[in-house]
Amino acid sequence: MSRILKVVRLQLINKQTFIWVPLIVLGAALAISVLIYAMIPVDTPKYGGGGQAPLWYFFAMGLSALTLTFPFSQAMSVTRREFFLGTMAAAALGALLMAAAFLIGGWIEDATNGWGVNGYVFRIPWLWEAGPLAAGLAFFALAMFFFVIGFTGATIYKRWGAAATTVVGVGSGLVLVGLAFLVTRLEMWGQFWQGVLWLGALGLTLWALVVIAVLMVISYLVLRRAIP
Amino acid sequence: MTAVIEVSNLTKQYRDKLALDHVSLSIEPGKIYGLLGRNGAGKTTLMSILTAQNFASSGSVRVFGEEPYENARVLSRVCFVRESQKYPDDATPEHAFRAARLFFPNWSQELADRLVAEFQLPVKRRIKKLSRGQLSAVGVIIGLAARAEITFFDEPYLGLDAVARQIFYDRLIEDYAEQPRTIILSSHLIDEVANLIERVIVIDDGRIILDEETDAVRDRAVTVVGDAAKVDAWAAGHEVLHRETLGRVASVTTLGVLSAAERAEVEAQGLDLAPVSLQQLIVRLTQKAAGTRGTDDAVLAPSTEEVR
Repeated sequence: MSRILKVVRLQLINKQTFIWVPLIVLGAALAISVLIYAMIPVDTPKYGGGGQAPLWYFFAMGLSALTLTFPFSQAMSVTRREFFLGTMAAAALGALLMAAAFLIGGWIEDATNGWGVNGYVFRIPWLWEAGPLAAGLAFFALAMFFFVIGFTGATIYKRWGAAATTVVGVGSGLVLVGLAFLVTRLEMWGQFWQGVLWLGALGLTLWALVVIAVLMVISYLVLRRAIP
Repeated sequence: MTAVIEVSNLTKQYRDKLALDHVSLSIEPGKIYGLLGRNGAGKTTLMSILTAQNFASSGSVRVFGEEPYENARVLSRVCFVRESQKYPDDATPEHAFRAARLFFPNWSQELADRLVAEFQLPVKRRIKKLSRGQLSAVGVIIGLAARAEITFFDEPYLGLDAVARQIFYDRLIEDYAEQPRTIILSSHLIDEVANLIERVIVIDDGRIILDEETDAVRDRAVTVVGDAAKVDAWAAGHEVLHRETLGRVASVTTLGVLSAAERAEVEAQGLDLAPVSLQQLIVRLTQKAAGTRGTDDAVLAPSTEEVR
């Protein structure tokens, strides 16, 4: 157990990577969004997707956690299991921090009527529908999702190379297109969107957590035999 | 003495290359081993498999009597920094040492600090901006200061200048004397490490072609120096590995152990016996192994009745 905690500390040893850079990206995205909102002359509330910027950074984090920190952890005589569990715990910490920042941002937006310009980055009504806890969980799940996608992709690359990664990427894309085709053919888009609305943000978040768990299992199984 | 590493029939097959070919060896505690061989001979692959960083195609590896794969109990007593070691994004040497301090129970910060000063390593510069030599220094410092019971050094001197290499060799011997442990040093600069290593393992094209005490290897050949005519006459009955002349003086290295009587005879003729260069000997043995591959070469097979 203590060695897994040490891997968490190993991942956080350069605080810049997991803590400061995502916060800086978030701050910058927020500043730019507010500036743009201030320039839009409408009275209705303005919503934007600037808040997603740091989430993409989690994708890069997942990637480099594997391509660079995994080989280093091997030199530190860490087992693959310890590395995996410690890295996921570190990512969860980073995602929690992100979720906290989003919640605080949301409350500030609430209190200041959207930074005084009626513009919102964090307080997207649909996400906050089920309360702050559900909104926080949604942000957490999004950050984890991006991290795990990057991590899993990099693991597959490490284990089998570029060709296999492309095949898996294109394959997953084809499966999604195939599903979309099926839904179109069966004329079920109406039901599909109804389902999404019925699930709401919280329902979707819970499904996202299932997908994250599946990706984690896949990446762990692939990592078991990966060579640094 | 019980071996700390036991390898039997280890084979590693890459898609188009047999990297290790039925390798068997045992490593005893408290010795410095030289793992010598050409580039691509299989040195790094062997060390990676011993530390469970890589996987064998067949055969077995036991480290401290256990399978090392996913075995924290074993791995925490072992340190292997690769020649092409990767470090976390944006990490500095300071970060790397702080991490090593977490994972290696015998880590000596004092030794690490001293080595940093001696190698003049900029600890706050990002590792990806370091020169090749400074990058090697990071690995060397981790390897030495970790004081792991089994430490592997994988071509640790790449990019290090002569002064830095000497610092490494000196500190290695010094710290080894203070904290005896098992050290496996892979190298192709054979003469530079010849005085450090107590036992030589030569690997060529995935096969172990030599596994002997360094002194015993040296005794396998002699160098006779003296008047060229006399030296050549003496060498006529021997297998010559190497011949050099300077004016009327010749130096001939021949294969084969000399008995006391033969030594006396050489000296009686006014010829001198000089120490053999381990490098020359190993180069020749490697070439011979390549030449006689497939046949059972008696010359190279380590003597089986050697006393353990």
